Amino acid sequence: MSNSIEVEIRDMVSEILEVPVEKLAPDVDFFKDLNVDSLKAIEIVAAFEKKYRIIVPEEDIPKIRNLGQLIDYTRNISS
Amino acid sequence: MKERKIVITGLGVIAPNGIGKEQFWESLKEGRSGIKPVERFDTSGFKCKMAGEVQDFTPEDYLGTKGLRDLERTSRLLCASAKMAIEDARLNINDDNADDYGVCTGTTLSALWNISEFGKELITEGPRFTGASLFPGMVVNAASSQVSIRFNIQGFNTTISTGYSSSIDALKYAIDFIKMRRIKAVLVGGVESLSLANYTGFYRLGFFAGINGEEVSCPFDKRRNGIVLGEGSAVIVIEDEEDALERGAHIYARVNGIGNCFEPYRIGKYHPEAIGLKESIKGAMRNSELNKSEVDYISASANSVIVQDRLETKAIKEVYGKYAYNIPVSSIKSMIGEPFSAGGLFQIAASIGSMYKGFIPPTMNYEIADEACDLDYVANKSRITRINNVLITNYGPGGNSAAFILSKWN
Repeated sequence: MSNSIEVEIRDMVSEILEVPVEKLAPDVDFFKDLNVDSLKAIEIVAAFEKKYRIIVPEEDIPKIRNLGQLIDYTRNISS
Repeated sequence: MKERKIVITGLGVIAPNGIGKEQFWESLKEGRSGIKPVERFDTSGFKCKMAGEVQDFTPEDYLGTKGLRDLERTSRLLCASAKMAIEDARLNINDDNADDYGVCTGTTLSALWNISEFGKELITEGPRFTGASLFPGMVVNAASSQVSIRFNIQGFNTTISTGYSSSIDALKYAIDFIKMRRIKAVLVGGVESLSLANYTGFYRLGFFAGINGEEVSCPFDKRRNGIVLGEGSAVIVIEDEEDALERGAHIYARVNGIGNCFEPYRIGKYHPEAIGLKESIKGAMRNSELNKSEVDYISASANSVIVQDRLETKAIKEVYGKYAYNIPVSSIKSMIGEPFSAGGLFQIAASIGSMYKGFIPPTMNYEIADEACDLDYVANKSRITRINNVLITNYGPGGNSAAFILSKWN
């Protein structure tokens, strides 16, 4: 997992949530801290799936609550 | 119970020839057209190149940057006009009174952009990889709902999709809500946005000017051969007169008679006697209690379609008799194109300007007279005059038609 993919994911989330990258620390909670609703969450997953051509199983979606977890998730899949 | 009088207290408009009421009114008065070559999509595959496109609209100026990402163009246009109207009417909508306000929007084709983008992704990316954010904007009531969400309006939210007459039909629906005392004020809007899908649709049906003649919107002129498509949004705030006075609102005009009708005939064909339009005008006159001679101006729905402009002329003559020759009739669609469901709200916004600034907007591009269209069309130059009552018509080949009388307040 290269650093550039981390940057890619961070930029993608930043764009979807309309939150500047500086505010997207790996442990900032999407739902509690950034007011992400279910629709936005699906949008992040959909953009992620489209970009990396992978399918995130439904049961995994609630486990991804911050940028760090999303990056870890990508790391696990790619390994 | 005394019947409520309803007044207009706010206005927001984004038209192809002007953003904001002052710019819009000035363009109409000067005869400035907003019809130009389309920039939003490639028209090289068409014989036609023009539309009444809104080209200098920056949504950030009205709505800020946050939340724009998921707002498709139709919602941006409607929300920005709604913002102008709310500010113009000086409404103070908050958590305590959010139920007192409603939204009623006329729109029919505005979701087509998202629908076709989603369809394209389904095919090119496959169902698993479609953009989820396109989906909420695929329904016809998306824009109206976005207005409620953004401005915290919780009374009611309705979208009326009756094609050409959607604007006046939406107004009638909103008026009924206020008359039944179920709501205090309503944002009545009309919106359509240009997309490759609706441009292609009208083109393929042979509805465009330029397919069989000159590509120009010239209502009532002998050269007319079809519509030039338009887009944009307009929103007015209507409320009970007593409420408006109580809160010290500025009143633009009074909502007077209104009539609408559906005449089932054949899909996409005009009834040869224009029965629906005549019934609508008669209905509006009846419940306005005006005499024929009190109508100072008719803001026509005429859109440069051969049959439509002739039938509209015929309907006016049959309702008003010989007096029809004394009433100036003009079509602003010569300057903004045919904005479909938003047309009526543009005509209302224009007519408020007519009353306020004392002018009749011209029918532009009028050069060659047609014996079937022989009324006073205020050709090519606006007319300075006092206006107390305007009849506004909405008409088209879909079977729906509507008419509305806007009157000076006090």
